[in-house]
Amino acid sequence: MNPLADVVTPSPLVLDGLVVGAILFALGVVGILARRNLIVMFLCAELMLQGISVSLVSWSRHHGDWGGHVLVIFVLTVAACEAAVALVFVLQAFARTGRLDSAAWQSLRESNLSRTIDHELPAIDTVPLKFPKLSPAGVEPAADEDAALEREHV
Amino acid sequence: MIASILPSISPGTLLAGGVTATAASLWLLLPGGRSGAADRTARWLGWLIGIVALASFIATGHRLGNVGEEAVFLTVALVAVISGAATVVSRSPVYAAIWFAMALAGVSGVLLVLGGQFLGVATIVVYAGAILVMFLFVLMLAQPAGLAPYDRVSNEPLLAAVAGAVLLGILSLSIGRLTAEPPACCLMGGTKAALLADSPAAEPAAAAGIDMLADNHVARLGGELFGRHLLAVEVAGVLLLVALIGSIAIVSRGAADAESAAARRAMP
Repeated sequence: MNPLADVVTPSPLVLDGLVVGAILFALGVVGILARRNLIVMFLCAELMLQGISVSLVSWSRHHGDWGGHVLVIFVLTVAACEAAVALVFVLQAFARTGRLDSAAWQSLRESNLSRTIDHELPAIDTVPLKFPKLSPAGVEPAADEDAALEREHV
Repeated sequence: MIASILPSISPGTLLAGGVTATAASLWLLLPGGRSGAADRTARWLGWLIGIVALASFIATGHRLGNVGEEAVFLTVALVAVISGAATVVSRSPVYAAIWFAMALAGVSGVLLVLGGQFLGVATIVVYAGAILVMFLFVLMLAQPAGLAPYDRVSNEPLLAAVAGAVLLGILSLSIGRLTAEPPACCLMGGTKAALLADSPAAEPAAAAGIDMLADNHVARLGGELFGRHLLAVEVAGVLLLVALIGSIAIVSRGAADAESAAARRAMP
């Protein structure tokens, strides 16, 4: 057994935190690669940042150092800047194309990539939404229309 | 828990199975342009396989020793991961935003368990505002009637799911190797090992954890932030200012462009 093993081996909590961070990051990567809605892509980028934050705090705990925590604060700052700029870009893109579709900008792709072609999608059976209703309670008050007209403020 | 039920399966097999199940689950869950009934079936199947993948990852995970701590960590981690997956695969951007808020709640719980008291609260406070703005954007821009076609299809869902699962497998494998053996850097020679042993970073994690959970946590974090990292704080402030000015410039320029385009269209 290496004498350093008990020094450098992270605690189980740190390892589990790293795994959670890795899962969140991988989910964000899948979303960025696959989804076409600009807002959902943006949310997936934020999900990747959250995974990184969890990993940083785990390593911070392992090393007993505040560096990871400080770095997460900067991640929050950069995420705020990124949100501001990205949302402006999304707004502009929506104003120009009327869609939140990343494929609406496919004229910017590399020349050796094939074009994204949208096929006709099969129809989805739209289920009518059911909203809860309050059951009527008590007697409906009789509205005095004259009094309502005389009222100064509504 | 699950590891004791399945003692015969080796960790490598569990990890490989988990990665495969993750890929299959994400592929089924991502919007694929299927018809209504097929889409519902695929989603059910996807969530079921996703539960298998999660179970295998929990089985490969490390026991924390304390049952209460383990239960709390498992709960918040599952909330974070499941909500994160739902964010990625939700057809409607409105639901994606709501699931992302839920994922943030889980992440802040994980941060709290890991000892980041300030960061756990700051994540909620900062991102709650961000998510509110995102929500307003979604309501403003999203298609009011039904789903847009581009929300019902994905770019190469199979390849994306496989790529994400492979990335996850590599990361999990390298995390698992942290316990198996010390990293190669520490085996090279006596000097490096001695240096590592002397450095404060090599303190046992238990003592460091107790130090980090002290009751003046926020004061210590503030001292570190505004002491050792003061210059970085100033740079971050400049970055915020630049982002603010940049976004305002893009908006106003875009508005001017739109006006000129409208004027050109109005001209006979």
